[in-house]
Amino acid sequence: MQSNHIPSETDLIQGCINGDRQMQQFFYQNFSTKMYGVCLRYAGNENDANDILQEGFIKVFKNLEKFRSEGSFEGWVRRIFVNTAIEHYRKKVKLYNVTEVQENTVEDTSLDALDNLATKDILKVVNELSPGYKAVFNMHVIEGYSHKEIADILGITEGTSKSQLARAKGVLKKSLEGYLKTNKNISS
Amino acid sequence: MQNFKNKLYNYETPPPDDMWSKISGELDDQKVVHLKGFRGRSKFIYYGAAAAAALIIIFVSSIFLNKNSNEFSPEQNSKPSSFFSSATVDSINRNYQMLEKIINTPKDKKLLASNNVVTDGFSKKYITIAGPEGQPVRISAKVATLILSADKEYPPKPVWNETIDKWQQIMLSNTFSPTSSGIMDMLQMAGNNVE
Repeated sequence: MQSNHIPSETDLIQGCINGDRQMQQFFYQNFSTKMYGVCLRYAGNENDANDILQEGFIKVFKNLEKFRSEGSFEGWVRRIFVNTAIEHYRKKVKLYNVTEVQENTVEDTSLDALDNLATKDILKVVNELSPGYKAVFNMHVIEGYSHKEIADILGITEGTSKSQLARAKGVLKKSLEGYLKTNKNISS
Repeated sequence: MQNFKNKLYNYETPPPDDMWSKISGELDDQKVVHLKGFRGRSKFIYYGAAAAAALIIIFVSSIFLNKNSNEFSPEQNSKPSSFFSSATVDSINRNYQMLEKIINTPKDKKLLASNNVVTDGFSKKYITIAGPEGQPVRISAKVATLILSADKEYPPKPVWNETIDKWQQIMLSNTFSPTSSGIMDMLQMAGNNVE
């Protein structure tokens, strides 16, 4: 019997911990679209995103007991999905160190053109990055992780994280220019 | 502030329709895995209980064996103290008395006398008889009594005769000495060795 009553966050968490399938489904309905967006940002294709989403929800249900209500619940859930995506790509991710000079040559303003694009188009451009660059770019620029956090999660040094981000921005800038050119040509 | 960051951060799109059924199915599988884990633990408990039971049996057996060997310790060896040991000595002595009546040939009497040199009750447990080729063969005094008493002049129990005839044939064709294999015989022998 389906109830119209919307459970509180605490009830929802407790219900999921107790293995209440209705609560779990409600939880899924609440978070699936947001988390699928996260998965698509890290995954190279829909199939991988589906795998990450499925694995991420299983992990969330398994680890709900560990949530200590010390921060945003959605933030906690999102972190699990990001970690799941990173684990999924850990083997594929190849991180190369680049020099400080290369790092400093890429300005943040070079990506301003992305603002004028629709979200799906931004996603298309970002998805052209290699898994390693994409992971660092997503974690630092979009999620707001510090380089230290990225270094800990990916098992790299802070310097490598910084250099990867610089390289990612450079590649992204080129992709964006190419994308804008192509679109201009199409529109004209 | 770069707007694309917010756009990407808040990007939402519905997953495939069958995604929940997949997750739900996997959650069911996880429950089965949990049960398997429980079974694994109960199996472990079962093995642990079996090991504990085996240890208890070994412990009790060792106490029993120590008790029996103490009954035949040098301090108490002059007279068997337990009912079991005195009954055994009586039985062996009775067997010898019967053998003395049965054995008629001088050669066998000589052999029996040589067996009697050791007067200790436990030494009489085995006697040496001459094999078909004159070789010495050690046999249990109890079995010897039965075999020899199968003679028609002194039949103890007619029902045994047929079986004992077979044994006689087997014994005549074998030259190896019988050995003790019963646990009680071994205990008695162990007692003798302690002495």
